[in-house]
Amino acid sequence: MNRRRVVLGPSTETSSTIFLVLRRMRAPLIVLIVIFAVSVFGLTLIPGRDAAGHSVRMSVFDAFYFMSYTATTIGYGELPHPFTAAQRMWVMFAIYLTVIGWAYGIGSLLTLVQDRTFRQALALQRFTRTVARLREPFLLMVGFGQTGRLLAERLDLIGRRLVVLDTASGNIDSLDIGAYHADVPALVADVQDPRMLAVAGLEQPWCEGVLALTDDDETNLLVSMTAALVRPELPVVARTVSPAIEHRMLAVGSPVVVNPFDRFGDHVRLALHAPASYRLMSWLMSGPDVELPEPERPPTTGRWVVCGYGRFGRELVEDLREGGLELTVIDPHAREEPGFTLVVGDASDPDVLARAELADAVGFVAGTANDTTNLSLVAAARRINPGLYVTARQNRPDNAPLFAAMEIDWLLVPAEVVTREIYAQLSTPLLWRFLQDMPAQGDEWAARIIDKLFDHCGTRLGTLWKVAFNPQDTPALLHWLNAGEARLGDLINDPYDRSRTLPAVPLLLLRGDDVTLGPDGDVTLAPGDQILFAGEPSARRALLETMTDRTVSEYVLSGRVVPSGWLWQRMTGRRSAAR
Amino acid sequence: MEKVVFGFFVLLAATLNFGFFLGDLSDPAKHNVYELFAAVVVSLIATVLKFGDRTQIGAVHLATSLVADLQLIAASVSWAYATQISSAGLDEKATASVVSLSGGALLANLVSVVLLVIETVSFHRR
Repeated sequence: MNRRRVVLGPSTETSSTIFLVLRRMRAPLIVLIVIFAVSVFGLTLIPGRDAAGHSVRMSVFDAFYFMSYTATTIGYGELPHPFTAAQRMWVMFAIYLTVIGWAYGIGSLLTLVQDRTFRQALALQRFTRTVARLREPFLLMVGFGQTGRLLAERLDLIGRRLVVLDTASGNIDSLDIGAYHADVPALVADVQDPRMLAVAGLEQPWCEGVLALTDDDETNLLVSMTAALVRPELPVVARTVSPAIEHRMLAVGSPVVVNPFDRFGDHVRLALHAPASYRLMSWLMSGPDVELPEPERPPTTGRWVVCGYGRFGRELVEDLREGGLELTVIDPHAREEPGFTLVVGDASDPDVLARAELADAVGFVAGTANDTTNLSLVAAARRINPGLYVTARQNRPDNAPLFAAMEIDWLLVPAEVVTREIYAQLSTPLLWRFLQDMPAQGDEWAARIIDKLFDHCGTRLGTLWKVAFNPQDTPALLHWLNAGEARLGDLINDPYDRSRTLPAVPLLLLRGDDVTLGPDGDVTLAPGDQILFAGEPSARRALLETMTDRTVSEYVLSGRVVPSGWLWQRMTGRRSAAR
Repeated sequence: MEKVVFGFFVLLAATLNFGFFLGDLSDPAKHNVYELFAAVVVSLIATVLKFGDRTQIGAVHLATSLVADLQLIAASVSWAYATQISSAGLDEKATASVVSLSGGALLANLVSVVLLVIETVSFHRR
């Protein structure tokens, strides 16, 4: 379908600052003019006396001159002749009058500078200008709450530019405190207004994606729809906790919808079935330079007790049930459904908790929307059965130390789940492909990859990067690729000593639309292939040298040392096979 | 009320200007300096009243007003030069230049009045 492109048009508010100043200054300026006029006029009417004693009137020019230096508090004295008593009386009156006028004028100007509307107009103007001047790809982030902040920090670390919109000024102010490498233009604005998205650069060619991360599902829906209508080709990531909204989001355009509860349920299911796959996934998703996480070992047989059957509880119960676990749900409002035993009541009531028979359960989930309740539930459950595997939901980031002190076995932080998810999608698109296809490879395979990563890179995952084999990115490898015998294993030799292997592990090979996960050293590469590597940043630099420098690549691939200078090549008669 | 004040000042600026301009171009006795002074003040007030209007006609209003101000201030300056600095005093030549400058301002003020009338008429039609 050839849809007409929607143009939001520039916001008219951007040019309003100067008009606002002028309009607000109308009254004070008129007062000043009138005061000056009255004072000057009065001075010209009152007769004075010159040195010779003749009665003279001040000219309009002299009067204006006198009022100018008197009103501005400079005060040269009584010119051109010393004043008479009548003149002095009038001048006294004029002085007080002008002081009032100036005070009123300057006061109005200062009030205007303090004024909220004026400051907003100024901020909008500055923001519009900054965004319009951006000359590198940027992501438009709508909503800068916990999730936004976490994600912004990580994206900033890998050098992505951001433009931020949020309704709450507190969220935007937190940008000033945060330490970001790049300047992040931000504006407090009504994000439900599509024109604000235009101001934030939605229509700019440099905008490379839209992230809808507000706490309000409706807003995220609106942002996602606006982006899909205005720029259908842009990738959109939207956060929601409601399946209904998710459905509506997918109706317009093709945004990537991230539902933290749903994803956590998926993780739980994966961790139950394939602990190693889950471990590998969480390692790769955590971002650069992260320790290998401890393996999660949730009990896979026995009965689990879930407190809270809201959106989160529902998703989790479904996934646990599919994992083949027995379930008991405690909730004051839930209704009986097949698949689990229901205990109706408030879980913080000891009697209700007793009815759930925690003593012979294996797992416990504190999944209410209240952190205090969750913490006390965990404590109560542990008192009944110390051996329980405890999962808890942490809603507010400030409570992290409390949850850490409780030593929860598996903690769900919704903001963290969304952040990881979106980071994995945005940082390296191939990683997302890898994570999608990885669970199908089985647990054993995942465990092997973890071991391989561990052997090559240690417990810290350095970085993930993509290599595309094409004439632009890998000019030094062309002849090798075209020869048809390009073993991947030869490529990851150390340029300083080719008997050693670089600390880099190929995770995924993309050829056309075919994906090979965990390609081994014997895979033959062809032009156009893309490979996702994991490894040390030093390995990345070494590989870059191999790919771009013919002398290095010749040594790494075949062991031959080729002179790099033109003269030496001529003299030795040895040249690279590339020529 | 705002319209009354606005119309009042625009018209007053034009009439004062006209009053000063009226009479023999080079005869200082036929041009009162207080009338020039009042014309400058009223014209300045009219200008400030036009601040911050973002319509097309408002912008033209402001522009004509600024032209009138400029002309009147130039007239005042040349009058001040003639009376205070020049050795010849307020002779025919100086008076002629002051009055002709104010004549230019008068033209701008007339445009302002025409604009005011146009605005009023088009407002009624809507």
